[in-house]
Amino acid sequence: MDDERDLHERLDRAFETITPRPAPVDGTIRRGKAIKGRRRVAAAVAVAAVVAVGVMTVPSLHRLAGPAPVPGSGHYTVTVRPPGPGSPAGLIASGTVNGKRWEIGADKPEAGHGIQQLYTSGPAYGPEDGTAVPNRSVGTDPVFFQPAGSGTIQSEYGTVRADVSYVTVRLGNGTVLTLHPVTVYGTRVIAFAFPGNAAIVNAIAYSRHGEISTAVPFNNPAALLVYFGVWLKPGQHGISRASGLIGSGTADGSAWSASADLGPWGFCVITSWADVKAASACADTFSQLPTMTMDSASGGRLQVSVGAAPPSAVRIVVHQANGTTTQVRPVAIGGQKLFAFLTGADSAAWNWTAYGSSGAVVASSAG
Amino acid sequence: MRAQLDEEFRDFMHGRWPAMVRLAYALTGDQGHAEDVAQTAFARAYASWPKVRRTGNPEAYVRRIVINENLNRFRKHRVAERLTDTLPDSVSGALSGSLAAAGAVDATRQYDDRSALIAALQRLGPRQRAVIVLRYWMDLTEAEIAAALGCSVGTVKSQAARALATLRQSAELVDGELQ
Repeated sequence: MDDERDLHERLDRAFETITPRPAPVDGTIRRGKAIKGRRRVAAAVAVAAVVAVGVMTVPSLHRLAGPAPVPGSGHYTVTVRPPGPGSPAGLIASGTVNGKRWEIGADKPEAGHGIQQLYTSGPAYGPEDGTAVPNRSVGTDPVFFQPAGSGTIQSEYGTVRADVSYVTVRLGNGTVLTLHPVTVYGTRVIAFAFPGNAAIVNAIAYSRHGEISTAVPFNNPAALLVYFGVWLKPGQHGISRASGLIGSGTADGSAWSASADLGPWGFCVITSWADVKAASACADTFSQLPTMTMDSASGGRLQVSVGAAPPSAVRIVVHQANGTTTQVRPVAIGGQKLFAFLTGADSAAWNWTAYGSSGAVVASSAG
Repeated sequence: MRAQLDEEFRDFMHGRWPAMVRLAYALTGDQGHAEDVAQTAFARAYASWPKVRRTGNPEAYVRRIVINENLNRFRKHRVAERLTDTLPDSVSGALSGSLAAAGAVDATRQYDDRSALIAALQRLGPRQRAVIVLRYWMDLTEAEIAAALGCSVGTVKSQAARALATLRQSAELVDGELQ
């Protein structure tokens, strides 16, 4: 092999004469539609990072949204173990789901960088292994959990604070997983996999002195959503659970809706429109919830924003940058009046005013 | 609107299918795997087609998935996979059909050359193989390769240098001496 040009010519001769079978377009479209139906948009999660709190959006999931399920018994088995001697570099954890093996690990990153890409693999994930680009952890929580990849089962990956000795995760059927942090490419992490229909009851972080704090996540298997938000210290109680529809209407000929779920995790909003059955966003406080974007298969786009007003609010008027106004009725949920409305992505392009029963202004987005 | 998008995707896939299969074949060395990898990549592109088409470069999107699918496949099978001197039957199968289509005269010599090249490429790690194929066959720039692999330009350069050094020492590719 003389030089690079010689290599190019040899590669060209070797591969340009390969004649594949005719493009299987129909089968590919069917597979693509199936992927849309089960994809967990973990790799495309957009995080509106706010210091000291966590915010997560999971747009454009094509599943029916529904109320957060009550953790039930469920017939499944889950195991997890940390990497042992001789494990591949980058492995974070492995185990089984219903007897089938899974692995979660990290690709070797560029020098000087932390973990840049995750992978999930093993028979438990079915025909699709996955990759995910993790977000850098924000805030000071004991564990910053985020989805680790797509597949027939769900996966969670977490960066762990230095004082955490281990983390327990209780599943809906009573299984308790004990996760021991490992340092992978300079980052202290844990990971686990679990069936898509399983709920997570809580995660508890322990130091060598005892319990640090507990997170009760929001579960919505229909939306492939597990959100770990607020971490509660021992004896601390989170927000009482409450949920309800906070907005609905029609856009481009299709119905849209938004529902809110409040609880110890903070706040989550799930929206639907056209063939987009579940786009969701969660945050520690309602005011931190970003605008949710839904892209339909036909190329349409809808954006939904949310707001919270005092209990005395009976009417909300939204002012758009183009001069139009929209009136919405707030809904009493969890001691607040919550509402959702259609808007553009630029939060500066709209504002709202809340009015009480007497017509007086009781609150506004401008403060 | 959906029908129009579907038609657009069909045209795109018909047009780029052969190139993506060839790329996947160059990376996997196996036409069966190559077509499956390529179809998976196109299926994922279809699943996000409204967004993918807005990038203005859907081929780059599909190409990146092909590369990552090969990297994931390697990672999944790395414990069991062993590189051998014996080429898989599917290479022969791919070769006979393509040679007939190409109307090649010296079929035996082309088969030997391709087999040697595939064997040499398969001895490289998956990332090095991807760099070689993208740089020296698809003529992508180092920046484009870095974007496709999710690494820095410096890494692309070092991977290419190491891969070329390995290929130069490959017994199968010694000039004038096809094995």
